[in-house]
Amino acid sequence: MSGAPLVADGLGKRYGRDWGLRDCTLTIPDGAIVGLTGANAAGKSTLLALATGLLAPSEGSVSVLGRDPLRDPSVLADVGFVAQGAPLYRSFSVAETIEFVRRTNSGWDDEIVPDLLTRISSRAKVGSLSEGERARLALGLVLGKRPRLVLLDEPFASLDPLAGRELLQLLMDHVAETAATVVIASHVIADIERVCDHIVLLTGGGVRLESNVEVLLDSHRLLTGPRRPLGSIRGVREIVRERHSGRQLTLLVVTDGPIVDPSWTVEPVGLEDLLLAYMAPERLPTPRTSEKVPLRWHG
Amino acid sequence: MSASLLPTPRRQDRGFVGRAGSGYDPAVIEFHLDPRSGVATYLQIVQQVKDALRLGTIGIGDQLPTVREVVADLAINPNTVAKAYRELERDGLVVARQGRGTFVADTLAPPSMQHHDELRAALERWLDRAEAAGLDEESIRALITATLRGTPSRRVA
Amino acid sequence: MAWVTWRQHRAQLVGAVGLLVALALAALITRLPIQSAFNRDSLSACLPPAARTGCDLIVPHFENEFAGWVAAVRGLAVLPALAGLFVGAPLLARELEHETHRFAWTQGVTRRRWLLSKTSLLAAGTLLLGALASGVVMWWRGPFDTLEGRIGPSGFDIEGLVVPAYALFALALGVLCGLIFRRSVAAMTATLVAFGATRFLVLEFLRPHFLTPLHRIVAATATGSQGAGNWVLSDTLVDGGGRQITAASENLAVLHAQQARIDPHSYIVTLGWKRVISYQPAGRFWTFQLLEAGLFVALAAAVVLVAVWLVRRTPT
Repeated sequence: MSGAPLVADGLGKRYGRDWGLRDCTLTIPDGAIVGLTGANAAGKSTLLALATGLLAPSEGSVSVLGRDPLRDPSVLADVGFVAQGAPLYRSFSVAETIEFVRRTNSGWDDEIVPDLLTRISSRAKVGSLSEGERARLALGLVLGKRPRLVLLDEPFASLDPLAGRELLQLLMDHVAETAATVVIASHVIADIERVCDHIVLLTGGGVRLESNVEVLLDSHRLLTGPRRPLGSIRGVREIVRERHSGRQLTLLVVTDGPIVDPSWTVEPVGLEDLLLAYMAPERLPTPRTSEKVPLRWHG
Repeated sequence: MSASLLPTPRRQDRGFVGRAGSGYDPAVIEFHLDPRSGVATYLQIVQQVKDALRLGTIGIGDQLPTVREVVADLAINPNTVAKAYRELERDGLVVARQGRGTFVADTLAPPSMQHHDELRAALERWLDRAEAAGLDEESIRALITATLRGTPSRRVA
Repeated sequence: MAWVTWRQHRAQLVGAVGLLVALALAALITRLPIQSAFNRDSLSACLPPAARTGCDLIVPHFENEFAGWVAAVRGLAVLPALAGLFVGAPLLARELEHETHRFAWTQGVTRRRWLLSKTSLLAAGTLLLGALASGVVMWWRGPFDTLEGRIGPSGFDIEGLVVPAYALFALALGVLCGLIFRRSVAAMTATLVAFGATRFLVLEFLRPHFLTPLHRIVAATATGSQGAGNWVLSDTLVDGGGRQITAASENLAVLHAQQARIDPHSYIVTLGWKRVISYQPAGRFWTFQLLEAGLFVALAAAVVLVAVWLVRRTPT
């Protein structure tokens, strides 16, 4: 495990009396594209800041590419991090910003520069760029040093859909070329659903879910049926959430086998709704059983 | 029947958004992704390749777009594309040549092209009639889906 | 890091060079009347230890003539602090304020190396400009230094080795305050206060004792401080037994003399009272410069080391 891209062990960070992150233990697999999600203030930014040595842990440990980012900060040469809001020096020109990154990273490869400069003048001041252009520049700068691990904190915030799509294209192209591991922290699940094969869900500073996406979707089902007292249901290992309305009962369950009980209508759950159910217990997706083709719900 | 759109065969260059002059050969197939269809992404790709094979828009020896090209266009996980191509290779429809790309190796029995044109013309006439009868696109699809499945349609205009 | 440092501080460099140029020009322009006055009054004959008759009138006249400028030049003692305020403090305060440290500190250069490189380069520049400024002031003060000496605070603080040393110390203080306070204005204020306090403490309590002061005993009636060019630390009346006479006792004696219609000066002499002058001789100027400059450079180094140690622990 020592070489895994990101490993946290009992990691915690306290701000005054509040814990921004507590008892966080997870291992990011090599080559995965991970969606790190959860509500605002769930601890996503804190986790990434701890991983890049911008914060020191209050308890536990974190390692990136097998090394402690605080004690061994030279590992950051292999880690690409774009903080929330894509901070850059606003008074620098684009060319000067590229020069800055070129001079502070020995692994910098100029090959990415033409991609960075599509539709941006190299003489333009960074402060004069649009949000989308700045985000793409920040990402390109990070990819240009060919990191093995890419950490992005809310990269799509305040981007229009086209800019967001371009960002993803740039990122996925790099991953296709280098097989880098990527962690994207975003509280908007739809943004990351397209590319992630791994999900980490944080709630209230702790890890609520950590799983491969396919496994997650395969192991959850939505059951609807008439309201009744519940015993154990064959094929159901755990009930994640239940909701009743009138005479109908709806359950989101973890399965450990096929559910053949005819009194239940069984449907797959979409990723966004599944995660929402884990995040906000009072809200459960509303099933529509009129069509066999599973639809997306917005509960 | 897949809920995805049929692939559009293209013979001319297409530009990738955000790519600067990549200099690749014109692709024989361009993929579309319907994230709302409930069908897994890799299956949609597999389906679109199979449909293209059936329609004859791609043939033996044609090169499928590289993983990198697909990914840079659609912004999806490269593993998904790799998985789709692996499945197609398992089905014997394509073969991956080390360092050169993935090529079509077999066709799916296509109906003869002559029937194709006939059927297409008949279909267009039928579509005109359906439209005149007041069916919208969704209703038409539902009708076709239901008929294909052999159950009576629940949606009649 | 050389390019990075230059690019981020080039405005400050331009400002500092401009300031230096302005200083040099002002010095050039104002020196001319001083030099001509010096020559006109043949003040070269009044240089210590020569004491021509009439010197005790001409010299004060000359000094009064340019007292305003001399006082203004004394104000240049604030120049070294500028290195702390406008170069040192913004270095970290601005990065932390604007959160650009989350960009700068996640590149391939570690925080400590980043800070150390930048500070070293800026320190070199500060040393150079400080030395040049010091040279300009020393040249300008030439006539005054020869007449009244330079070891006193009016000359010492703005000449020689201490000026670049002060600037270095101010720079280091600015860097540390920027790290601690994380806001430009607060950091600048703290830097100014800390710098001023340190300078004051060294000047008042350390510098007088760098080497044991010399003493000279003169008659109570002697005028002048007996030895131009020295830094007089204290000038007190003592009685025959060497005890200091308080001002109250002195006034009492003068009153007594006036009541008895005796000349107060002669009366004091008959009492056996003498003046004891404690001073640092002019010849110790360079020794003291070396000691004080060394002290401030050592302080600067210590402050920078604290900052470099602290930067890794900074929560962001």
